[in-house]
Amino acid sequence: MSRAAADPGQDGPRAGGPPLVDFHDVTVAYGGRPVIWNVDLEIDAACLFGIIGPNGAGKSTLLKAALGLVPMVGGSVHFFGKPLREVRPRVGYVPQRETVDWDFPVNVMDVVLMGTYGRLGWFRRPGARERQLARDSLDRVGLADLAGRQIGRLSGGQQQRVFLARALAQQADVYLLDEPMAGVDMRSQEQIFRVLAELKAEGRLVIVVHHDLRTAAEWFDRVALVDMRLVASGPTAAVLTPENLQRTYAGHIDVLEELGRAVATRGRTP
Amino acid sequence: MLFGAATFFGGDPAIHGWAMATAAVVAASCALVGTLLVVRRMSLLGDAIGHAVLPGIAIAVLAGGRPGGLFVFVGAVAAALLTVWLIQGLRAAGGLAEDAGAGVVFTTLFAIGVVIISAAPAGTHIDPACVLAGDLTFIPFDTVTIADRAVPRAFLAATLSFAVLAAAAVATWKLQVFTAFDPAAARAAGVPVAAITAGLLAATAVATVASFDVVGAVLVVALLVVPAAAAELLAHRLHVMALIAMALAVVGACIGYLAAWHFNTNAAGMIAVVLGLEYIAAAILAPDDGVFARAFGRLRLAWRVAREDRLAGVWREEESAARGRSAVAAPSLLERCAAEWLRIDGSLVRDGGTWRLSPRGRRDAETVVRSHRLWEAWLGRHADLPLDHLHPPAEWVEHHLGAAMRRRIEVETGWRQSDPHGREIPPEA
Repeated sequence: MSRAAADPGQDGPRAGGPPLVDFHDVTVAYGGRPVIWNVDLEIDAACLFGIIGPNGAGKSTLLKAALGLVPMVGGSVHFFGKPLREVRPRVGYVPQRETVDWDFPVNVMDVVLMGTYGRLGWFRRPGARERQLARDSLDRVGLADLAGRQIGRLSGGQQQRVFLARALAQQADVYLLDEPMAGVDMRSQEQIFRVLAELKAEGRLVIVVHHDLRTAAEWFDRVALVDMRLVASGPTAAVLTPENLQRTYAGHIDVLEELGRAVATRGRTP
Repeated sequence: MLFGAATFFGGDPAIHGWAMATAAVVAASCALVGTLLVVRRMSLLGDAIGHAVLPGIAIAVLAGGRPGGLFVFVGAVAAALLTVWLIQGLRAAGGLAEDAGAGVVFTTLFAIGVVIISAAPAGTHIDPACVLAGDLTFIPFDTVTIADRAVPRAFLAATLSFAVLAAAAVATWKLQVFTAFDPAAARAAGVPVAAITAGLLAATAVATVASFDVVGAVLVVALLVVPAAAAELLAHRLHVMALIAMALAVVGACIGYLAAWHFNTNAAGMIAVVLGLEYIAAAILAPDDGVFARAFGRLRLAWRVAREDRLAGVWREEESAARGRSAVAAPSLLERCAAEWLRIDGSLVRDGGTWRLSPRGRRDAETVVRSHRLWEAWLGRHADLPLDHLHPPAEWVEHHLGAAMRRRIEVETGWRQSDPHGREIPPEA
């Protein structure tokens, strides 16, 4: 049974106010090749929101486009009704763990402190307040005693929790997480999920790119099924239907894929 | 100390002092910039810039600039930025990988520089050999007077650029670390990643150019990469790595210069050799992954394994005797040494011709045998292997299982009392 169904108050838009996140007609291309097309997605209320889809569906790309890390070909993304650059500190990002070099010479505390840099501005150094914030964040993910450890000496699950702690130290209102459960041991998964549920309880929106359908139904209040385009979105139980899953995992993507290739090579589809 | 060295090496200490100090400052600049290049896996770009400034310098000199002067400096920085721009352009336009692009661009630019210099009219102040290997010897003779003291121009230029680079590094360090470690998250947090990267490349150009006429193209590359690479083996935090790299660079510059002086050979070449030796020393002595540390770790494990095997061996002999079976395999030489050690240690007691376990030795032995048999039980349950496949892995796993893991395996195997061979699993001590 889905949490959303048990809590009908989350379905309606929040009284007044713009949506927390608003994807409007977003199309994103990688190297000239469109990988996700015309996504319309509004999220109105704090919840655990899963972006689900097969490999290469453009889930991570959608997230990166929202953060301005890859340029959009068309459309726009607004947070709290404003463009990202006006509300950056309120939007936290947890990239995929494999995107960084974990042999990099920094320790756990250094990484978590990076979460406070956005609010600190370019030249101010983190002080006692930021250190306390970082320690509290580490405590929440259960790594309080590893603050001085070199990050290369952590397990994969611990590394992922360090990334989460960095985002917590930012004290954002919307969190975007890219595959936080990938390659992570069970204990870390549970701990991460518990923290995400806490964030939701504090009234924050948590958007998670996720590939595991089995856990998706259990974890998320609302989901969007994505495969190069938005297939469906809404309360988990209503979206994860056999028809929708069929359309997501065995849909007409070859049309979009061939078209994308044609666009990238400035040619024409067969 | 310098005067003491001078009596040993001969020559005018003040002259050599200036040359060595210049080399040291230049080395520190390059090591600081090199630290960031190395951790960002951009050291090849440093290499490219180190070579590609040559045509900029050559053209500036032909146009009337004085080597070491501001005009030449600007020409060199322009050439460096052109290099970076061309490499990125080649990648964007032709899809050429960055390392191949750097290879294409810097060799071409460097060659153009060599051609320009070779074709230059006689009397131009550039010597191709000097460009490659640098010439510290003449530095002390081109001086300006400051507060009634003659200070070499090159030393002033090197010190000035070091001061600028160090100030920039201190001011932007936080952002440099964030950008180097996780550029995507840094951008999402509003860090001007492109500007930080451009700044680093400009800093590389400045460090390179300030060093170029002092130590030559070859040594610039060595100074950018080698001390930083050595420091990476020794440090766990970036600012510590930068400080170690600068220290290694300065020490290498001084030792290299003194050695070149003593052996009457090229100083730049000698400094590069010393830096290489420093790297080898770091690779051998590094506390975590150094050759010594790893050999020591293997040795310690071998000794622990020998002791544990001997204890378990005595325990199994007792078990076999109790069941009326023949004794197990004879211990190796290392295990016999271990037995003597365990006797001194109080874990084993010599009783006539046989070994017996003391209470403590018995507890340790049972832990090893328990680990062994628990692992066999776990493998037998989870991997469905024939019985003869179980013993070999358990033979080494038994030395690596901790108490918590043993408890977990006990639960997973359903508190079995015996291993798949039917032998009893000793209880946890």
